Amino acid sequence: MDFSLRSVLYRIVALIVGGIFIYAGVIKVMDPIGFARDIDNYHMLPWVISVRLAFYLPWLEIFCGLAVLCGLFYRGGLLILNALISIFIIASIVAKARGLDITCGCFGQASKNLSFAWHLTLDFVLLACVIFLWLSDRRQSQPGAASGALALQGSHGVNKKL
Amino acid sequence: MKGVGTVRTSAIRQALILITLAFLPTLGEAIYFRNKVSWQSRLSASEVVSVDQVQRWGDNVMWTDARPAAEFEHDHIPGAILLNEDSWNELLPLFLEQWSPDKRVVVYCSAQSCNASAEVARRLREEAQLKDNQGKNCVFVLEGGWEEWLKTR
Repeated sequence: MDFSLRSVLYRIVALIVGGIFIYAGVIKVMDPIGFARDIDNYHMLPWVISVRLAFYLPWLEIFCGLAVLCGLFYRGGLLILNALISIFIIASIVAKARGLDITCGCFGQASKNLSFAWHLTLDFVLLACVIFLWLSDRRQSQPGAASGALALQGSHGVNKKL
Repeated sequence: MKGVGTVRTSAIRQALILITLAFLPTLGEAIYFRNKVSWQSRLSASEVVSVDQVQRWGDNVMWTDARPAAEFEHDHIPGAILLNEDSWNELLPLFLEQWSPDKRVVVYCSAQSCNASAEVARRLREEAQLKDNQGKNCVFVLEGGWEEWLKTR
């Protein structure tokens, strides 16, 4: 793919992924008790842990979303998002296999009516985007290329040229 | 240049910084919600009742079965009304027809580990806004659910 086109695509994907996680985090920060119930519905963790995670995870999502959006602690943000999405996909599949009627809770009340198939599709698309960003950044961070925030700034420069 | 420093920092180190940073607002939010959340159990102690306690309440109790319809039809607590999340919209009006503020609602599901009774109780409180004559909570969850009730039958 043409380098400039790839940079623009890279920038757009970073904006979308960062934006989605900030949105998802903010929605859950506003209703931590509802999110605690959603985690508890998976029947994988005791309530004492579910409720504490419900307070912590949304902020982690927001910080990682900001990291991806701004380019500061970029790879660390991608690493955590990768882990979060993977854990969530596994938890969803296990819960479904156990016959639990779960609500993913990914976007608070807004996701209550999403079917399991849609949850999973959305998660796999997000996972693919995060992996794409990780690999693109890795390629660009090799000797002679920019990385993280620099890569984003670089792509911004390309935008101007375009 | 800030970016060069970012590039040199390993992904794991960056992740650890983010993980640590996220604790700060979490702490603030937890302090803000400290009295609004039940930290030790999904239900606060005042929302759960034992079979013995319900029996002491006498007749002004409305047993509410939150299990699937098939399980309710197979067997249920005498006088119980079916109200589950599968058919919430259809069953809620029937439930409300029989409820009055002088009645305490006790919701049960299959066992201690099920969540259906807690969810139905929550929806009765928050969506149907059930309260007694003094404006206090009148919806409770049966500790141990149907299994516990069977032991005392």
